[in-house]
Amino acid sequence: MSTIIEFKNVNKEYKSGDHILKAMDDVNFTIDEGEFVVILGPSGAGKSTLLNLLGGLDSVTSGQIIVNGNHVESFNDNQLTEYRASNVGFIFQFYNLIPNLTAIENIELMKDIVDVNIDGLSVLDSVGLKSHANQFPAQLSGGEQQRVSIARAVAKQPTMLLCDEPTGALDSKTGVLILNLLQSMSNDRNTTVIIVTHNAILAEAADKVIRVKNGQVESIVINENPKKVEDLDW
Amino acid sequence: MAFLGVYVFVGFGAESFGFEQTADTYYDETNLADGWIYTTNLDDDFVDKVNGLSLTKDSEKKLIVDSIADLENDPDITLHFLQDDDISKFYPVKGEDFNLSDGDGVWLDIRFAEARDLKIGDNITFEFNGIEVEKEIKGLGYSPEHLYQTSDSSMIPDYNKMGFAYMSHKAFPMSDVPYNVLLVKYTGNSSSYEKQLDNDLDRDYSSFMPRAQHPSFAEFQDETEQHKMMTDFIPLIFIIIAMLTLLTTMTRIINNQRTQIGVLKALGFKNRSIMIHYISYGFWMVLAGSILGFILGPLTLPPIMFEEMQQLYSIPYWLTGFDNSFIVVTVAMVALSALVSYFACRKIVGESPSSAIKPKVPKVSTSGFVERFGFWKKLSFNARWNYRDAKRNKFRALMSIAGVLACTLILVASFGCMDGFDEMKEWSYTDINHYSSKLVLEDNATDSQIDHIVEEVDGEKLMESAIEIKSGDVKKSGVVTVLDDNELYTPTDDDKNPIEISDDEISLSKKMAELLDVKVGDTVKWHILDSDKWIETKVTNLHSDPTSQGIVITKEKLDDLGLNYTVTSVISDKDVDDNFTGVKTIFSMDSLTDSWDEMMESSMSVIYLLAAFAAILSLIVLYNLGLLSFTEIKREFATLKVLGFKSKYLRKLLLTQNLWFTTIGFIIGVPLGREALQYLWGTMGDSFYLKATLSFKTLIITFVIVYVVSIFVNLMFSGKLKKLDMVESLKDNE
Repeated sequence: MSTIIEFKNVNKEYKSGDHILKAMDDVNFTIDEGEFVVILGPSGAGKSTLLNLLGGLDSVTSGQIIVNGNHVESFNDNQLTEYRASNVGFIFQFYNLIPNLTAIENIELMKDIVDVNIDGLSVLDSVGLKSHANQFPAQLSGGEQQRVSIARAVAKQPTMLLCDEPTGALDSKTGVLILNLLQSMSNDRNTTVIIVTHNAILAEAADKVIRVKNGQVESIVINENPKKVEDLDW
Repeated sequence: MAFLGVYVFVGFGAESFGFEQTADTYYDETNLADGWIYTTNLDDDFVDKVNGLSLTKDSEKKLIVDSIADLENDPDITLHFLQDDDISKFYPVKGEDFNLSDGDGVWLDIRFAEARDLKIGDNITFEFNGIEVEKEIKGLGYSPEHLYQTSDSSMIPDYNKMGFAYMSHKAFPMSDVPYNVLLVKYTGNSSSYEKQLDNDLDRDYSSFMPRAQHPSFAEFQDETEQHKMMTDFIPLIFIIIAMLTLLTTMTRIINNQRTQIGVLKALGFKNRSIMIHYISYGFWMVLAGSILGFILGPLTLPPIMFEEMQQLYSIPYWLTGFDNSFIVVTVAMVALSALVSYFACRKIVGESPSSAIKPKVPKVSTSGFVERFGFWKKLSFNARWNYRDAKRNKFRALMSIAGVLACTLILVASFGCMDGFDEMKEWSYTDINHYSSKLVLEDNATDSQIDHIVEEVDGEKLMESAIEIKSGDVKKSGVVTVLDDNELYTPTDDDKNPIEISDDEISLSKKMAELLDVKVGDTVKWHILDSDKWIETKVTNLHSDPTSQGIVITKEKLDDLGLNYTVTSVISDKDVDDNFTGVKTIFSMDSLTDSWDEMMESSMSVIYLLAAFAAILSLIVLYNLGLLSFTEIKREFATLKVLGFKSKYLRKLLLTQNLWFTTIGFIIGVPLGREALQYLWGTMGDSFYLKATLSFKTLIITFVIVYVVSIFVNLMFSGKLKKLDMVESLKDNE
């Protein structure tokens, strides 16, 4: 497996007045293609900062972020937008579907930004929602909305799926379904899946677990035999 | 918003009511006559008879005569020789008060004196009917009978060329003054008084002119009506849009504060204090805006327009008007916005803190009728998103459309006015009158003098005499134009095509036919103002004239009817500037069109002012509504941005909706504006006739303004789109 994402001595500082907050302090790690990665840490550990930097929503103070051989840290606004469009499949805690568009339209909307042929119906089928294609987000349950959101992210065929507490707003049963889906994306389709969460149980299912604390990487553990999500002890 | 609404409403209102109140006060103060009886044999017997009528309150005789002042360019001065000065009094502003016992002095038109640089103490000589009088200028002032002064062919007042002068009967060179006008004050309305005159005096007079037909009074009355129409109608649209926008805004502001209200409730604040806080928040702002508008409107707007009007009308003072509707509208503005805040607030406060603290569940989009068609699938996501967004926020969509519509309507009506003026000019001075010079003859010009002039200038004879015309109870003044194989004067039809009037025809102008409510084949009664011979004729056809209403016949027809053919002017296609005996004034086509242009210019400022307000109105409405919708869709846009959509894409998303609303508003606004314009022409006065047409230029200008405003509003939001903080917007759970 080849390295697809690399953080090299990444620092991120926020200034507020005279005070400097170090949100990311010399962070280094690599992620391989098709890996199922869980980034763990308590609130305020720097998980969100890491996600924002990797997702191209924020820029580093110093250091390098190399994705697919490209130096993301050197991108300007337009390049970042381009990067988000073609490399990152976002999955949000609150799904963030466009309420004015139906499930299938939410997915096919991506045609406007990536040069990929998207068959909305078959993508929906892959998350088991073919029959809900013409429903609006508000007519779907939370789990269904999150599945549409995954379908939307996958449809772009991005380098990675970047998931921010994807089960945070769901009950545990639905949550397992979603995580299961994400794991299978990684296992069956060789999609790189990165999940940011504070739920430590998920660690056992990951190929790689990156723990962060106080803006630093505390540990990186590679599971030789990750468990299946449904076998975890919820 | 509250400020602008009240400002425009009260400001324009103060102007139009000011017109009315100025006229009323001025007419009251000078005791303007209720009617004028013209007759050549105004002896004591006649006066006694009139005074004997039960409806007559007061009367006063005077001699009104046209004269020429012995100054450069022979200005026309209307002389008034007074027996008394109680009715239609002279209003002095400089020098001595009018003195009846002073036979050496003259009280002159102040506007004329200013134009000619004449001072009190100067001597001035007038010539009329072969008589010359030289008097000393004792005072300068205004006359209620000369609010609006025009000479025979000039359409706008030119104070350099005309004026009036008041003198005592003692100033008349003969002891026996040949009085020709009896001013009367009477009770009841003009038609009942005229009936009494007819019955008791046996029609022993040439004509009776009630106030409504007096040229000066009527012109100002028309102007007042016109302003009232403009200033009732347009500010009303304004205030309605302002109110609706204000109300939507207030509701939304409070709804946006929903979670905060919930928090306050959860913290244990009393419902009452929460309500007071949120209601007073909007209340004070609206109150401040309204009061500011209420004060500034009348202070700033009327002076701008009065200054224009001052050029057209001779009035010593202008009053800023007041009407109770001003207070009603202002109070309604404040009360309504408070009420709307109250209801919006009560709804939230009424909920339990736990539900109020959560944001309101957004309205659900649903598939509708349109989606069932095949073409829906072919639409871009942009179009689909915008269609559903508009559908989900119908009120906001309608308000945006209404704002653009009102703006378009006002612009079309305003610029359409300019088109109309241009069209009238072209029609009147190119299609109908196509001479180069018009020589207006003296009343006493002899046939041989006239023939000489015709020969010298290679001209054509034209008779244009003032007439009274009636059908049933409706009586109007107009003009009879008598043709004698004229080639330089061509009657036209509605499409401005020349028409031939044959010897057996009586052609009535279309506007006059409308005023009298007659059709071809109906009978009208009319008489030339100088004679009391009434004639009954059948209308055989109609012609159209934008500025002169009445009858057109040929000389042969006039002879048949037994009326005298009196040539009033000679028209020629040569540029004539020699003075002939028997000629009162010479008008060149250039001077006529110039004065027309000048008149148009005076209307410009009102038009520009209205156009500017219309643009501001739509700008504010669109921005306001855009801002509200922006806070609602901020999160959606942030999501799209995170997903990799470019700012350009999002801008287009917003622009599309704005352009849709703008286009719909524009498309509906244009025909409505045309209707408003048609209505406006209708109120222009009895002598004007025009069908509302819009030039391509007007449409283009309106289109450009409306769309520029729309795109400008969009630009204001594109800055916000760029600054949209993706991370921040995604954090809050809505």
